[in-house]
Amino acid sequence: MSNDGKTIGKPDPPKEHAVTSSWHHRLVEPPVLFTAIAVAALVVIWTITLNLINREYASAERAAITTTADLADTYEAQVVRALREIEHTLQLVRHELDDTPPGEALQILAEKALLPPEFIFTVSIADATENIIASNGEAAGTGAVPADLLQRARDSEGMVVGLPYRASAGGEFRLPFARRLGAVGEAFRGIVMVTTHAGYFVSGYEPDTLGEQGVLALVGNDGVFRARRSGDQLVAGERIDYASWMSADETGEAAPMVEVNPWDGVRRYTLARELYGFPIALVVGLSTREQLATAALLKRSYLWRAGGASLLVLAVIALLGGLSWQLQNTRKRIMQERIEHARYVEYLAFHDNLTGLPNRAFFSQLLIQGMQQARRYNRKLALLFLDLDRFKTINDSLGHDAGDELLSEVARRLQDAVRDSDVVARLGGDEFVILLPEVGAGNQVTLLADRALTAVSKPFKLAGQEFRVTVSIGATLFPDDGEDEQTLMKNADVAMYHAKEKGKNNFQFYSEELNADSLERLALESSLRRALEQHEFQLFYQAKQNMATGRIPGMEALLRWQHPELGLIMPMQFIPMAEETGLIVPIGRWVLETACRQNVAWQELGFPELSIAVNLSARQFHDEELLDTIKDVLRDTGMQPQLLEVEITESMVMRDMVKTIHILTELKQMGVRVAIDDFGTGYSSLSTLKQFPLDTIKIDESFIHDVIRSAEDKGLTEAVIALGKSLSLTVVAEGVETMEQADFLRTHSCDEFQGFYGSVPMPAEEFANLLQLQMQARRSS
Amino acid sequence: MSRILSSMGCALALSFAASAVCADVVVVVSQQSPVTTLSRTQLTDIYLGRMSRFPNGEPVVPIDQKEGTDARAAFYRDYLGQSPAQIKAHWSKLIFTGRGQPPRSVEDGAAMAEFIAEHPKAIGYTDSDYITSDVRIVSIE
Repeated sequence: MSNDGKTIGKPDPPKEHAVTSSWHHRLVEPPVLFTAIAVAALVVIWTITLNLINREYASAERAAITTTADLADTYEAQVVRALREIEHTLQLVRHELDDTPPGEALQILAEKALLPPEFIFTVSIADATENIIASNGEAAGTGAVPADLLQRARDSEGMVVGLPYRASAGGEFRLPFARRLGAVGEAFRGIVMVTTHAGYFVSGYEPDTLGEQGVLALVGNDGVFRARRSGDQLVAGERIDYASWMSADETGEAAPMVEVNPWDGVRRYTLARELYGFPIALVVGLSTREQLATAALLKRSYLWRAGGASLLVLAVIALLGGLSWQLQNTRKRIMQERIEHARYVEYLAFHDNLTGLPNRAFFSQLLIQGMQQARRYNRKLALLFLDLDRFKTINDSLGHDAGDELLSEVARRLQDAVRDSDVVARLGGDEFVILLPEVGAGNQVTLLADRALTAVSKPFKLAGQEFRVTVSIGATLFPDDGEDEQTLMKNADVAMYHAKEKGKNNFQFYSEELNADSLERLALESSLRRALEQHEFQLFYQAKQNMATGRIPGMEALLRWQHPELGLIMPMQFIPMAEETGLIVPIGRWVLETACRQNVAWQELGFPELSIAVNLSARQFHDEELLDTIKDVLRDTGMQPQLLEVEITESMVMRDMVKTIHILTELKQMGVRVAIDDFGTGYSSLSTLKQFPLDTIKIDESFIHDVIRSAEDKGLTEAVIALGKSLSLTVVAEGVETMEQADFLRTHSCDEFQGFYGSVPMPAEEFANLLQLQMQARRSS
Repeated sequence: MSRILSSMGCALALSFAASAVCADVVVVVSQQSPVTTLSRTQLTDIYLGRMSRFPNGEPVVPIDQKEGTDARAAFYRDYLGQSPAQIKAHWSKLIFTGRGQPPRSVEDGAAMAEFIAEHPKAIGYTDSDYITSDVRIVSIE
């Protein structure tokens, strides 16, 4: 049924709107939104961090390069000056030797304070045979001049720079500078030599600027380090491939370069520069690791901070995201609940809550839709109107719960009986409709109706008892029988009534003639309501006659309706309608009252005491106020209760035994007689009949009609008379029309009879004449 | 008299550097110099070329004995707490970077006493054996 609910729901919002709004809706959904924020925050944090780190590194590198270049400039100046001083000393000694013997020359110069400080510089003079012949230091007379130095000094005009050597094993490296005495070409006389410790040339090493891994070095163009210092470590005499290293450097005056120094594998900002006028290059280097240590520390700290900040951001966003997610879920849930509630309310509004079937309002929409579709595709549509027979009886006798249960079961069975595309709805009460949106083959509707009839007619188990219910079905076709909802529904209703009239538990198509009948019926119904007020009802009286004596012991009051336009209408034509509408109760009361009043009037006129029989309809009999009504009428009219006889039918007493016995007992106590009318047509068992406090049974006229020709009816009639006798009841035969019938009944000791053979029903005045005649006859006989 | 002063100097040296071996090296100036006492820091600054004037504002010329003499080693060890290698490194650096020249040196204690006696601005050190009446021992606090 929920499917049906959807078709009726509010129209969906326009599709385009949903599409355009969906992407920014999705954007503000927590997962997307918060992920985006997190990513953005992380991008910002890390961009800034990496930028800062890069900047730190760049500035540290720039500083290192500048420092290296500055240091190189300073170092160059210092080296050049130191070399020039040494060269100057050599020159001075050479010059002094021109006039003075070697031993004295040094002495003289020392006294004049023209020699460099002797505890750092040793000035010596050697002869051509490598012997030191004069010295201001310890070297005097002890050591020999390094052979290669002497060799090179002899062949060179200017100052030569010797190779570093150790004066003693484990002693400090010393570095000799020499110049030959006299010019090249002259006879070689020896050399002047200044020796200093190799550390002198790198004594300007400042750990503050150069660090522990920096380098300060002098390397000769022969590739031999004259001195090289890193931290406190001094190296001399080591050899590198000068040519390829310098050419690889190829810097000249250029900026320092980062390279892994070949001598110790340390990576440095290195600047090597060949000195002008000396066969020596200086090397200044700053360890990249040391120079960038601060930047590296900063980098680490930045990375830690960025990491921390990232975690914080993620944590906060995760928290907010989580909360927002929860909030949204809650909102979603509430929305869902609201929607569900709305759906439920809507469902209630459009469905019958007992059976779950579409209700009248919903069905009306479905019908309209169905008609539109049928019109568009030029199809036919069928509408079946179903009304349960005898449902009121069940509801009244078994209670509303059982009635509801029955309705639910009927709904289920009907649902099972139709196709999925067909619609079953409940209009209210015991009225159902079936809509066939598409009718193909001609007998399709008939087949469906048969299925519905069969489905409903299967026994029901209600309140522990097995029941059978039938249904009357009327069908209309669209567009043949009506082109609008109202007409279709009304005509289906008409067809259904026709089915009821045809004896219930059947199916009828609508036709124009039916409509005419129905119009008449409708007219009757409305005029019936006015009939009482307009005094259109009238009682006819039919005499009962004693079988043996022919005397009239009483009569039956019969209701007639004198319709102003339609003329006299028989009860069978309007009593069912009065039953349906409930008008039977006031009408019944009127009948009772009128009959009693008439009877009393006749007695007052001097007629003999006559009994008068009044028919009670089913509804009247079960009316709660029946007993009170009879009491009131008896009291008001002054009628003797024993003269009043109420006639009820078998089916009425069998409906609710307990209640029936109660009512009958009450009537008995009041003195009112009870007759069973139309006896033999019902199914009352003889044993139950015995339990009722009855006075009279009236044999149904259908038996009497054929009592002469049909052996069966004859037997039955005999049996009924015998039964009545055995129960000490008065037996009355109805519908006696011929003398043969009367004779037969008389032969079988039937007590009384009614019928045209005796007298026809007639108005009160005529009946009074009849009585008059009889009285005169009696008197005369 | 000189003996007593010498013992006093020794006692002073002891009192300042308990661990130092008490040598007979004393710091001297000319009798004409007004300087009588110097702090150890002042003496160190003067000998390492960081100070060129006495505390009283007079110019000062520090004089060394030749490298390798006992007095020189003892002086630097006891008064300045420096080894010969440290002194050499110090002056190497100063000379190389052009920021100073080491004190000029004299041959021995006798030459020192003689030189100091003649130069009122000079300050020197010597074995107490060479103390003359022309020089005055400076007490180092």
